[in-house]
Amino acid sequence: MNKAFVMRDGRALARIIHLTHRFGCSYTRIEAHAEERGFFTTIDLAGPAEALRRLDAAVQTIIAYDKETT
Amino acid sequence: MDDTRTGADLVVDAFEREGVEIVFGYPGGAIMPLHDALFQHCVRHVLVRHEAAAAFAASAYARSTGRTGVCIATSGPGATNLVTGIADAMLDNVPMVAITGQVRSTLMGTDAFQEVDITGITQVVTKRNVVVREARDIPRALADAFRIAAGTRPGPVLVDIPSDVLKERVALAEIPDAPRTIAPRPRASVVQIEAAVTAIRERARPVIIAGGGVRWAGAAAEFRAFCARTGIPHASTLHGLGSADPRDDSFLGMLGMHGWTHANRAIARADLILALGMRFDDRVTGNPKTFAPNARTIVHADIDAAEFNKIVPAGITLHGDLKESLNALKQRLAGESLPSFTAWRDEIATFGGALPVDAAEDGHLPATDVLDALLRAIPSNAIVTTDVGQHQMWTAQRVRPHDPYSFLTSGGLGSMGFGFPAAIGAQFAHPNRPVFAIVGDGGFQMSMAELATLRRYSVPVKIVLIDNRNLGMVRQWQQLFYGGRYASTSLWDNPDFCEIAAAYGVQAIHVDADTSLDDAVDAFVQCPSAALLHATCYPQENCFPMIPSGTSVDHVVESAFA
Repeated sequence: MNKAFVMRDGRALARIIHLTHRFGCSYTRIEAHAEERGFFTTIDLAGPAEALRRLDAAVQTIIAYDKETT
Repeated sequence: MDDTRTGADLVVDAFEREGVEIVFGYPGGAIMPLHDALFQHCVRHVLVRHEAAAAFAASAYARSTGRTGVCIATSGPGATNLVTGIADAMLDNVPMVAITGQVRSTLMGTDAFQEVDITGITQVVTKRNVVVREARDIPRALADAFRIAAGTRPGPVLVDIPSDVLKERVALAEIPDAPRTIAPRPRASVVQIEAAVTAIRERARPVIIAGGGVRWAGAAAEFRAFCARTGIPHASTLHGLGSADPRDDSFLGMLGMHGWTHANRAIARADLILALGMRFDDRVTGNPKTFAPNARTIVHADIDAAEFNKIVPAGITLHGDLKESLNALKQRLAGESLPSFTAWRDEIATFGGALPVDAAEDGHLPATDVLDALLRAIPSNAIVTTDVGQHQMWTAQRVRPHDPYSFLTSGGLGSMGFGFPAAIGAQFAHPNRPVFAIVGDGGFQMSMAELATLRRYSVPVKIVLIDNRNLGMVRQWQQLFYGGRYASTSLWDNPDFCEIAAAYGVQAIHVDADTSLDDAVDAFVQCPSAALLHATCYPQENCFPMIPSGTSVDHVVESAFA
């Protein structure tokens, strides 16, 4: 699963990495760089389909909450 | 005229701007400047006896009003003591702003006295947290905090402020404006609404499930109108209780692990599930793979798109504010000819409509008798809070709140110690309504220091203590699933709770099997001030029905001897 998003709060990436471990998934690539709108981030995630589905939901929530701060 | 403000002044200014009337807290070194500022302003500070109680009281204030609750604690242990209440608010979607003091900026990162990285600790249990580094940033940080806490899907926000920032004095002219913005709320599309209407029209056995989202959307009236218009049988999650009109014959009660059997069987038989503002918690679904096995369609309405297909796949999703979604459905259904669901309601009536009785031995008082007597006696405008455990589920099975703001319980996190401070928070929010805290002997001992808060503020909360000298729900699981090995669940050495209440000036009434229960309950309910009803109950009474964790309604247990 590949995710690409912009985060205002860079700590959100740490939260996603933590959740990846918690859900028994793994990341094979993480890239983040600062730009005007925040941190442009791409992350490749791997793991069982069920775990990835829940991780995806959690990532969506984190991104949605991050958007609320802008 | 002084044209400067301290950081602490700016926090209080923000409270006033946000309409905060009351905050719950506990002082300490790093937060002293804020308490000093509160002392000189009109925002009321309620001193609790443990920071966890401040968080639970603030949470109950929010749950009972729909407005954001506020709690305050100092750095280090004060902040960490808030964490359970913050996590509780996160899981139950409660709008809360927690303010913590922090060691002064120059000490941060030095393992200073009472220093913890509270933003690090709470990152996963808050919608947002922030350390404010300069006093001039406080108005913006607080405006963001209140907006985010109440925005879209509500939740807690923590604002950590070093003590030097609270003391810093800034010129008003240097303070940037704190813009008041309202986050746009998503709306379900016409296509989504049309698909839901088509599903309702084409199915014969629909069931609606109301979740806590009905409360947070302020959509109880719309929900009731939708149920009345369609005649569809409806059940409720723990947090959805109060959404339904208690007089509506189509209301099936609570579903889930300790829900009514006919509600769970209706879900199992239904060909259409309309899930409104709920998140398919495991206590609702059991094994999600066997949840609603006959449902050809699941319609899931929620403000948070991340909930869709997280646990249970939904064929139709209504992403938006629930109130607007229900209004859109109502408009679309106007003049629409819908099937009569009478035959379906009649079929559900054959699924069994009585709660199983777990008979007590002679000479013992069943806790369920106490709760039945209490719920018969309390006024219709009462607010009921519970702690966590058997008494919580027994109450949830029986209580029929008139609105979603009148039954307050810790659902997602299941925090023991919630019920009593929650009642205090609700009483401060509603000083003219009767408030009852239903607690067990385990949970009450986690929070009974708050009897001091009752006394100090003359808070007339009524405490119903179901004392079975056990951690009852864990004991029940030990009996059913752990071979009767009762490890560390006996509270045989409980204190004399009536004497403890008396020590705090709280009237206590004791009931047991030898007492006239209705008379005692009536006397208790009529007490004009705070009171404790101490009920010594049968220790082995179990809470049934019960669907064991991870199974389905096919495995429902209605007796310990099944």
